[in-house]
Amino acid sequence: MKSSQRSKTTLSVVLGIICIIYVLPMVVVVLNSFKLNTYVKTDTFAIPTGEMWAGFSNFTKGMTFGNYPFAASAGYSVLITVVSTALILLFTSMAAWFIARVDDKVSRIVYYLCVFSMVVPFQMVMFTLSKTADTLKLNTPWTIPVVYLGFGAGLAIFMFVGFVKSIPLEIEEAAAIDGAGPVKTFFLVVLPMLKPTLISVGILEIMWVWNDYLLPYLVLDRTKYMTIPIHIQFLKGSYGTVDLGATMALILLSIIPVIVFYLLCQKHIIKGVAAGAVKG
Amino acid sequence: MATVSLRHIVKIYPNSGETKKHKITNLKVTEEGVLAVQDFNLEIADQEFIVLVGPSGCGKSTTLRMVAGLEEISKGELYIDDKLMNDVAPKDRDIAMVFQNYALYPHMTVRQNMEFPLKLRKVPKDEIDRAVDQAAEVLGITQYLDRKPKALSGGQRQRVAIGRAIVREPKVLLMDEPLSNLDAKLRNQMRAEIIKLRQRIHATFIYVTHDQTEAMTLGDRIVIMKDGVIQQIGTPQEVYDSPVNMFVAGFIGVPQMNFYDGNLIKSASGKYSVVVDGAEIELSAEKQKNLTDHKVPEQAVTVGVRPEHITLKEVPGKMIKGTVDVSELMGSSVHLHINACGKDGVIIVPTLDLKGNKTFTMGSPIEFTFGGDVAHVFAKESGKNLEFSNDTVQE
Ligand SMILES: Nc1ncnc2c1ncn2[C@@H]1O[C@H](COP(=O)(O)OP(=O)(O)OP(=O)(O)O)[C@@H](O)[C@H]1O
Ligand SMILES: [Mg+2]
Repeated sequence: MKSSQRSKTTLSVVLGIICIIYVLPMVVVVLNSFKLNTYVKTDTFAIPTGEMWAGFSNFTKGMTFGNYPFAASAGYSVLITVVSTALILLFTSMAAWFIARVDDKVSRIVYYLCVFSMVVPFQMVMFTLSKTADTLKLNTPWTIPVVYLGFGAGLAIFMFVGFVKSIPLEIEEAAAIDGAGPVKTFFLVVLPMLKPTLISVGILEIMWVWNDYLLPYLVLDRTKYMTIPIHIQFLKGSYGTVDLGATMALILLSIIPVIVFYLLCQKHIIKGVAAGAVKG
Repeated sequence: MATVSLRHIVKIYPNSGETKKHKITNLKVTEEGVLAVQDFNLEIADQEFIVLVGPSGCGKSTTLRMVAGLEEISKGELYIDDKLMNDVAPKDRDIAMVFQNYALYPHMTVRQNMEFPLKLRKVPKDEIDRAVDQAAEVLGITQYLDRKPKALSGGQRQRVAIGRAIVREPKVLLMDEPLSNLDAKLRNQMRAEIIKLRQRIHATFIYVTHDQTEAMTLGDRIVIMKDGVIQQIGTPQEVYDSPVNMFVAGFIGVPQMNFYDGNLIKSASGKYSVVVDGAEIELSAEKQKNLTDHKVPEQAVTVGVRPEHITLKEVPGKMIKGTVDVSELMGSSVHLHINACGKDGVIIVPTLDLKGNKTFTMGSPIEFTFGGDVAHVFAKESGKNLEFSNDTVQE
């Protein structure tokens, strides 16, 4: 009894420390986004009070800085994130359903290719990719989701296949007998059952695409299109000096949507939506 | 109106590496693959209730799934109402199926589950509501219509599954062990409800079970299968009274039929008798005729007698000796587990017959006999009932 309690306490302390380590950078970002630029370097960990307090000036500065409108970057970020995630969820769930249910050579090969793509680092393919993307005109915010679909498919298919395999086949057979063809079976029966995985994969992909810097930087035509991470990076540039206060403010702006989104979805991530379909 | 004909239906699962390497089934394995169902022939009349019964792995589900269209028919023809169904999609066969694990749609409420087949068939809304309400009424699930399946008990889920199957009034209703996930009490109750259901809906039923009690109580006719081969097709009475082989004899009836080694002898006047443990019992006239018709010669046989047909009444010269192992009082009767002729067996004695008589304890000697009308005579080698087939005939 005693020893188990002690180990629990130890665990709590360790986890608490890890938690602080994780949260600290965020806190620093929040603190410094309300601090005047001159104090960011000297009093990095100080709470912005009195003369350090910058109010929202960092935010307005950041958003109006340079000759590229921040609203456009934000708009492109939203567009790319939403479209890419939607494409990934739709196509990979369908592909995973096929792979999980059709047990032949082709589907197995496709599956292993997808799994393999997860272990190939982006840096290995980035130059050929940006060249190819240019040639295929995938270098606009409307077409870059295709590139994301390719990169996101591996993990998504891996996760969906695992879940589909846990769904009893009888449910789909019941649908076939009830009069649903493959399309209706997928959209009316299988897809709703995939909801927990749709949400998990969705969150992962949204965070990845939203925060991604390298891929849009290499692929997008930078003179015309920027995303928030690229925009933030361009805050330095011109003067050689960096307005850290403004940078922090924009970083804060860019992570708020992700955090809000995560909190909203958290309650939907319920395991075992399929529970009750078959004998529990 | 729906008749179903299965003609020479065969199901072959292609050989996988495993089945080739070690013999993992009792099923026949050919070059083409594993024969899960062999030459299945059955003509099902309109609104008949057919039960497929047999031990695990005998091909019951496979057969049912071929009728449903979920499994391809390797060879043979399936007709529903004289229309060839081999290549018709499940949804166009006008059948419904109830699965062992219910297979309800987890994200839909009970009402949505039951509406689903009708909605897909584009039935008008008011008709759907009427059909669903009526089916829910019949099955007593009206108060659960707005719940999700996971908030229901096993019995309630199975009712919903049945409800979903009957709302669209299918021609043929297929059920694959629908009650086997329920506890004993609920199973009895649901069995009674299925019997009631039958009177209310005019479908042809094909029902799969491995439980012989379900088979006997539900079926108009029973199909007994083993290792992919039909053993016997008949009414419950027929398969009980005249099992064609030892497998059927042992499968139908609880407790199991007792089997004893014995001899079939023929008197000078041509009368057949069986001799077990020195007791000579002359067979009944009907059995005499069957055996004579098949020209069955004298031979060593296995004699089968059901526990409920054995009697302790004294008949001089016809008693078989044994010892009691266990005596179980079941209420109206006593089950005596005995050992006789080197074989374990069971005798059912009505409690009334034992009144005032001694009680049996472990090891006490017992003498019993049976009548010539209840003895079944099986060939030693093939296990076939000699009354109905004779492949030991010596010309
Ligand atoms: N895909 C398959 N490949 C090879 N053999 C199979 C396949 N599916 C089923 N079988 C075999 O076919 C036989 C019949 O299976 P089936 O499911 O019809 O049995 P069942 O009578 O319904 O048994 P149970 O009472 O356990 O449900 C089994 O021996 C099984 O091993
Ligand atoms: Mg089965």
